Amino acid sequence: MRSLFLRSRLFAVGVLILGLLILIALLQPFINRLLIGNTDPLAMGTFDTMLEPSREHLLGTDKWGRDWAALLVLGLRYSLVIGFLSGTVATLISVILGFVSGYKGGRLDSVLRTLTDMVLVIPALPILITVAAYIKFFSIVAMALLLALFSWAFGMRTIRAQVLSLRARPYVDLARVSNLNDMQIIFEELVPNLLPFLGVALASSTAVAILAETGLELIGVGPGGNIITLGLMVNFAQSWGSLALGYYALLFAPVVALILIFVSMNLINMGLEEVFNPRLKRVTGG
Amino acid sequence: MLEIRDVRVHYHSVRGDYRVVDGVSFSVHPNEILGIAGESGCGKSTLVEALLRLIVPPGTVDTGQVLAPALTAGTSDKSDLLSLSEEEFRQLRWKNISYIPQGSMNALNPVMKIEDQIIDAILTHDTITRAKAQRRVGELLQTVGLSQHVAKLYPHELSGGMKQRVAIAASIALQPDLIIADEPTTALDVTIQKMILQTLKRLKQALGCTIIVVSHDMPVHAQIADRLVIMYAGRVMEIGSVYDIFGEPLHPYTRGLIATIPSIAKERKRLAGIPGASPSPLAWPGGCRFHPRCSIAATICQNEEPELREVRPGRFVACHLVETAASLNA
Amino acid sequence: MPATPLLEVDSLTQVFAIGRGIFGHGEIRAVDNVSFSLSGERPTMLTMVGESGSGKTTIARCILGLTAPTKGEVRYRGKNIATFSGKEWQAYRKEVQVVFQDPYGTYNPVYKIDRVLQVPIRRFRLARSRDEEEEKILEALRAVELRPDDVLGRYPHQLSGGERQRIMLARIYLMHPQLIIADEPVSMIDVSLRAAFLNILLSFEQEYGMSCIFITHDLAVGYYLGGRIIILCQGTIVESGDMDAVVHDPLHPYSQALVASVPPPDPRMRWSDEADMRAGELRRVSGLAQGCVFRDRCARAMPRCAESPPPMIKISDQHEVACYLYE
Repeated sequence: MRSLFLRSRLFAVGVLILGLLILIALLQPFINRLLIGNTDPLAMGTFDTMLEPSREHLLGTDKWGRDWAALLVLGLRYSLVIGFLSGTVATLISVILGFVSGYKGGRLDSVLRTLTDMVLVIPALPILITVAAYIKFFSIVAMALLLALFSWAFGMRTIRAQVLSLRARPYVDLARVSNLNDMQIIFEELVPNLLPFLGVALASSTAVAILAETGLELIGVGPGGNIITLGLMVNFAQSWGSLALGYYALLFAPVVALILIFVSMNLINMGLEEVFNPRLKRVTGG
Repeated sequence: MLEIRDVRVHYHSVRGDYRVVDGVSFSVHPNEILGIAGESGCGKSTLVEALLRLIVPPGTVDTGQVLAPALTAGTSDKSDLLSLSEEEFRQLRWKNISYIPQGSMNALNPVMKIEDQIIDAILTHDTITRAKAQRRVGELLQTVGLSQHVAKLYPHELSGGMKQRVAIAASIALQPDLIIADEPTTALDVTIQKMILQTLKRLKQALGCTIIVVSHDMPVHAQIADRLVIMYAGRVMEIGSVYDIFGEPLHPYTRGLIATIPSIAKERKRLAGIPGASPSPLAWPGGCRFHPRCSIAATICQNEEPELREVRPGRFVACHLVETAASLNA
Repeated sequence: MPATPLLEVDSLTQVFAIGRGIFGHGEIRAVDNVSFSLSGERPTMLTMVGESGSGKTTIARCILGLTAPTKGEVRYRGKNIATFSGKEWQAYRKEVQVVFQDPYGTYNPVYKIDRVLQVPIRRFRLARSRDEEEEKILEALRAVELRPDDVLGRYPHQLSGGERQRIMLARIYLMHPQLIIADEPVSMIDVSLRAAFLNILLSFEQEYGMSCIFITHDLAVGYYLGGRIIILCQGTIVESGDMDAVVHDPLHPYSQALVASVPPPDPRMRWSDEADMRAGELRRVSGLAQGCVFRDRCARAMPRCAESPPPMIKISDQHEVACYLYE
C-alpha cells in the first residue's frame, strides 16, 4: 500500500483530497458546533436570510436562514454516504457476477452477459427519474440501492474480462492440478491479482452514484425529506437565482465540493491505472 | 564493414542504472555472416538496437562509435552511425542497412496484402514505378522460397514460417549491404527453421551482403555463421571463426555453453550446465563478470576485469587464464 | 498376465470447432485417435516430440484432467479418469504431477515462491506439523541442489528461470508422484541452465522410480533423455519406439524430415545447400481427416495415402510406424 503512494503522485494526491473530504464529513457534528453552536443546520429561520459571507457565516446564509457552510458539511456527508454505499453495493454485485461469469463460462456466462448488456442498455436516468418522481421520500439506503442497481453493469464487464484473461494463466492450471477447488482458486489465485481493478471499480461506481444523485437533485426528484446533499444545494442555489443576484458562495460552494470529490476519485483511478497497468501487463502477461 | 568501438547502452531507472551493454568492441567483415551468441540478459539484442538507433529513453547510448564508412559514403561525410542525424540515418535504413527484428512475423500489417506492404516499403526508399516494384516483390518471394500467390494474401492467411520469410523478403527488398537479424528462427518449428537458415545462407551468396545474426541458439550459429562473437553480461567474452570456437573454445563460458548442447549426432554423454545464474545488469560482478560461475576462477579473476585480447590472429578472448582454459580442451 | 499399465491413453481424440456464426463449420482435430501406454512395472521416460500443432500439449492436458477429450479415454491403473470420484481425484492428483513450460507464468506473482511448495503439502497432507512441513521443504530444495537461503522468501521475479523450474522439481519431489508430465519444461530457460534440470529429471527416474512423459519440440533434448519416443504430427502418432532405434533409423518421412532438420552443433557438419525449401507447410487439416496427415508434404506419397489414415505397423519390438510404405 505504501508503495502505491510512493509510485504514483496522482494516487497520493487523490487519496489526500478524498481523505480530507471524508474527514470533514466524519467530523460533521464537531464542525457544525464550531460554526453555529448547537443548532440544527437544517432548521429554518435560525439566522437572517441571504447574508453575505462573513466571519460568523463563512459562506453566508441561504433563503431560509440556514448557515451555508454548516449545510455544506452536512451535504458533503450525505453525498459521500450515498456515494460509497451505492458504490460498494454496485462493486459487490459486479464482482460476484463478473467472477462467476468469467470463471465458470458456458451457459451461465452467456446468461449473465446478456443480463448485463440489457442493464447497460437501459436508459438509467429516465427510469431513475420516473421512479424517484413517484416515490416522494427515500431513505439514504434506498437511494443508494437504487443507484447501485444501475451502475454495476460496467464494472461487471471489466472484471469478467480480467477474470477471463487470468483464468488462462498457467498458475491457475497449477492450482487445479494441486487439486484446489473452484472457490479456493477464485479467492486465493484470482482475487489478489484483481485488487487494483476492484479499487478502480469502487472509485468509479462511487463517483457515478454521486453524479447520478446530483443529476436527480438538479431535476428536483432527489430523496427529499431531511436529506440534504450537495446536489440539492446546487438545485436550491440555482432556483434562488444566486448567480444572477450575486450570491456566488451559494452556488459555488457545493459545486466546488462536488468537483473535488470527482477529481479525487479520478486521480485515484488514474493513479491505480498508472501503477498497475504496466505491471499487470508484465505480471499477468496480458 | 562495421567497426564497433566501446558501445555502452544504459537504462536509467529509479533503482539505478541498468548497464545492459557495457563496453562492446568488435569488427564485422564484409560479406560474412557474423553470429552474436549469448543467453538472455547478455545485451546482444540491445546492442543491435543501438546499432540501428532504436534505443529510446530511458535507455541511452552513453558512449561508443560504430564506424561504417562503406555504408555512410553516399549519405554523409561522417562515418559513425551513432553520430548521424535522424534524417541521415533514415536514408540508410532499409537501403543500406535492414533489420529483421525478433518476432517480426508479428509486425506485419494485418489489414494490408503482403504485396502492398513490401511495395510501400520499396517505394518509400526508391524511385521506381509501382509495376516494377510489384515485379521485384515477385522475385523477392522467390528468393525466400515462397510461391508467387503469397503476394496477394493477407498475413493471417500465412503460417509463422511463411510470415518470417516475408519479413526476410521485405528486408532485402532494396538490396542492402548489411542485414541484421535478431533471433530469426526462435519460436519456429525446426523444419521451418532449417528453411530459414538455408535462405539466409543463400542470401549471402546471392546478394553478396553482410549478415549479422543474433541468436541464443548455438547450433544455429554452427550452421550458418562464419565468425562468432560470444557475449556475456554486457561484454564480449570471445571472438573467433565458428570452427575455432566450436572446436577449441578458449573462454570458460564458451566451453560451458558448448558443453551444454545436447546432440543427436554424437554419443550420449552427461551434459553439464553452467552453475549459478546470469547476473543482473544493475550490479555486474566485480572483476571478471563470469568469475562467480567459473570453474577455474582464480583470485585475479575476482579483482581485475580481463581485457579482450587477440591471443591468435583473429582470435580474441577476455580471460586471465586463457592457457589453463586451452589446456582443458586437450 | 501382464500387470495393469500405469497409464493408458486410448483412442484419445480432441476436436475443436471453429467457424463463424451459429453454424460451426470446420473443425480442428488437435488430437486424432492417439493411443499409448506406460508400463506399471518399471519407470519409463517417454518423450513426445512434435512441432506446433501436433497436439502434444492437448494430450498433456487430457492426461492431467484439465480438459475433457471429445472421444477416447485416459485410464490410470485401469480406471477411466473421467469417472473418478472426488477421493480418486485427490489420489490421482498426488500421483500424477506436472512441470509446465512457462517458468514465470506458473507462479502467482502476488505470492512468494514458498507457497508453491506449501500448497501441495497442505493439500495432500504430507506433513503433520509446521516443523515437519519446513523440514520437507528444505529436503526437497536440497534434492534439486538449490540453497534454501537463495530461494525461500523470494518473489518469482527475483529468481532466474532456471531456479524457478527447479523449484517446480522440488515441488514434484515433495509429492513423489508416480508420473511426471513435463510440458516443454526447458524451452523457456537459458541453455546453460537446462542440463541441470534434465539431469535432475533423469535422477528422479533412476533413483525414485518416477516415470515421465516429456513433451518437447526439441529432438536433441529428447534424445538426451533416452527411453521411448513418440513422434506426433498434426494430432497423430506417426512413429514410436525406442529412442535410439527411432532417431538413428527414422522410418516415417516426417520423422526423417524432423531428424534431418535438427541443426548439429558442429560447423563441420553443415547442411548442404540443397533446395529443400519446398513451399508447402503443414497446414491445419480441417474437416474430417482424409488419409495420412503428412500426405501434402510427403515426397513419397502414394494415392492410397489420401484415402485413409495408415495403421500402426510394427517393425520390431522397439519400433512402430504409421506409414503405408512399410506394409
